[in-house]
Amino acid sequence: MHISLKKEIERSNAGRVGLSLLLLVIAAAVLAPLLSSYDPGQQSVGSLLSPSGSHWLGTNHVGQDIWSQLLYGARTSLMVGFGVGIISLLLGILFGVSAALIGGLYDKIVMRVVDAFIVIPMVVVVILVAAYIKPDLPVLILLLAALSWQGGARVIRAQTLSLKESGHINASRMFGAGRFYVAWRHVLPDIVTILLVEFIYGVRRAVFMEAGLAFLGIGDPMLVSWGMMMRDAMSFSYLDVWQWWLVPAGVALSLTIIGLTFVSHAAEAALDPRLRGAEVA
Amino acid sequence: MLNRRNLVTYSIAFLFILALNFLMPRMMPGDPLSAIYGDEVLVAMAPEFKAHLVESFALDEPMWRQFGAYILALFQGDMGYSYYYNASVFSVIIGSLPWTLLVVGSSLVLSTLIGIALGIESGWRRGSRTDRTMLAGLMSLNGFPDFFLGLVLLLVFGVLMGIFPLAGALTPYSGLSGFSLVVDVMKHMALPVTALTLAHLAGVYLLTRNTMITVLKAPFMLTARAKGLSQRRLKYHHAGRNSMLPVLTVTGIWLGRLVTGALFVELVFAYPGVGYLTYQALLTRDYPLIQGIFLIVAIAVLIANFAVDLLYPKLDPRVSYAH
Repeated sequence: MHISLKKEIERSNAGRVGLSLLLLVIAAAVLAPLLSSYDPGQQSVGSLLSPSGSHWLGTNHVGQDIWSQLLYGARTSLMVGFGVGIISLLLGILFGVSAALIGGLYDKIVMRVVDAFIVIPMVVVVILVAAYIKPDLPVLILLLAALSWQGGARVIRAQTLSLKESGHINASRMFGAGRFYVAWRHVLPDIVTILLVEFIYGVRRAVFMEAGLAFLGIGDPMLVSWGMMMRDAMSFSYLDVWQWWLVPAGVALSLTIIGLTFVSHAAEAALDPRLRGAEVA
Repeated sequence: MLNRRNLVTYSIAFLFILALNFLMPRMMPGDPLSAIYGDEVLVAMAPEFKAHLVESFALDEPMWRQFGAYILALFQGDMGYSYYYNASVFSVIIGSLPWTLLVVGSSLVLSTLIGIALGIESGWRRGSRTDRTMLAGLMSLNGFPDFFLGLVLLLVFGVLMGIFPLAGALTPYSGLSGFSLVVDVMKHMALPVTALTLAHLAGVYLLTRNTMITVLKAPFMLTARAKGLSQRRLKYHHAGRNSMLPVLTVTGIWLGRLVTGALFVELVFAYPGVGYLTYQALLTRDYPLIQGIFLIVAIAVLIANFAVDLLYPKLDPRVSYAH
């Protein structure tokens, strides 16, 4: 029987907490212009101001409003996260499904390349490439996506292979169901959970990577990013400013990743019946 | 077991790393020397030395000859010269490598041991309050990026409470030796190791817990129970031992993550390992050094993965029967 993913995620505590956290971050990103009256790049009167009525989280070392940087930082994180998630999922489907269906030498080549990329540490590759090409946002998204589709491709390939052989698909074909009907009615519902889990993995890794790279000082310096905020704030850790500068950026980043982790955990539990039921229900 | 599949995989990975390292500077627009060494250095370079470099990199020859020269130099241990440190890239990296190995090794051991122990307890008591609390707690911990955990630890234990040193791996000019030197090193590595361990604990824990849940349902567990074995023996000898195996398979990948985690955490604590070196190299645009670090870190992670693949069948005979 097909699992209702929506129900499974909403039924588990982890799923509900995760979804709420994600909605919160998405709301912050979408409503950023409404929630703050400052442009995150605009330099105002004083630098390193303490929180006040006009600057809720004070200002940073060049006088930018930290609250609005925090909100716009959510945009960067989500854009990189979802951009990389979608592109690497599409690549994963492309290579995973084609390897499973075509088979033979093509399958072997794709799978060896996939395995090779799984053992190569992605962060150092990104650091090397970024040191030379100094990527802006779209290039960064493409770069991260190019390095993160492999795990998904392997899982999608395995799932496609097992579906190809499974009884209920044969049966429905025998009863005269067309290819598209089978794909829509039987294959998609079975594969959608795996796709979602892989997608969230991709998003989570990308959010983390973007912040990490910005923290190392790689990436577009004009872009407001939580990682960059933490990097800038770190140099002032001897002052009290970390309380309203460093910690909010770190907490925002962590809550985003925790939200993604919880949702993927709930989806994964829905996927594996052995883990279902007595789970964090 | 060395099978062909593994060999092909690792060869592809190895070639990709070499090719990327070779092509990146040479694909950049403009003079390849300026991409290999950086504009700032090139201006200060004597023309004779430039000519010597062009010759040694075979830069005036076709790409495949250049690649040959590049590989030859690598096999001679020549990874280029760091102008910022005024030393060969190899010696600069070797100088900072032990610190990273110390931090990464300690956190690998700690996170594996603690993760397995917690995973066994949690899986055994699946669904109980203890299990649920541990699961939620560790999964949340998993969401904290290692460098943020490091920053929080630094602020709380270093800045506010002043228990641990704020930066470095040793107290400079202290002239310590013997036991007090060991204490000093431990004090400096305590916070970075804690940050890395906490950030990477959850992975081992979740994997062990999931395997534990599956293993507990295995027929041999029923047999063991029917034989009248004690709970303790069931939990650790029968279920626990079997739950450790999957952790081992991913140790190689884990090590890769810990190494990259260390890159970030070292920066937070100004810990003089490879991570901090990377940060410095990026700041000073020391391209030969960036390339050298990439090569050494990537290949070290490859070797670790390879070693785990070789070792695994010896520990789990089922795997070698399967081939």
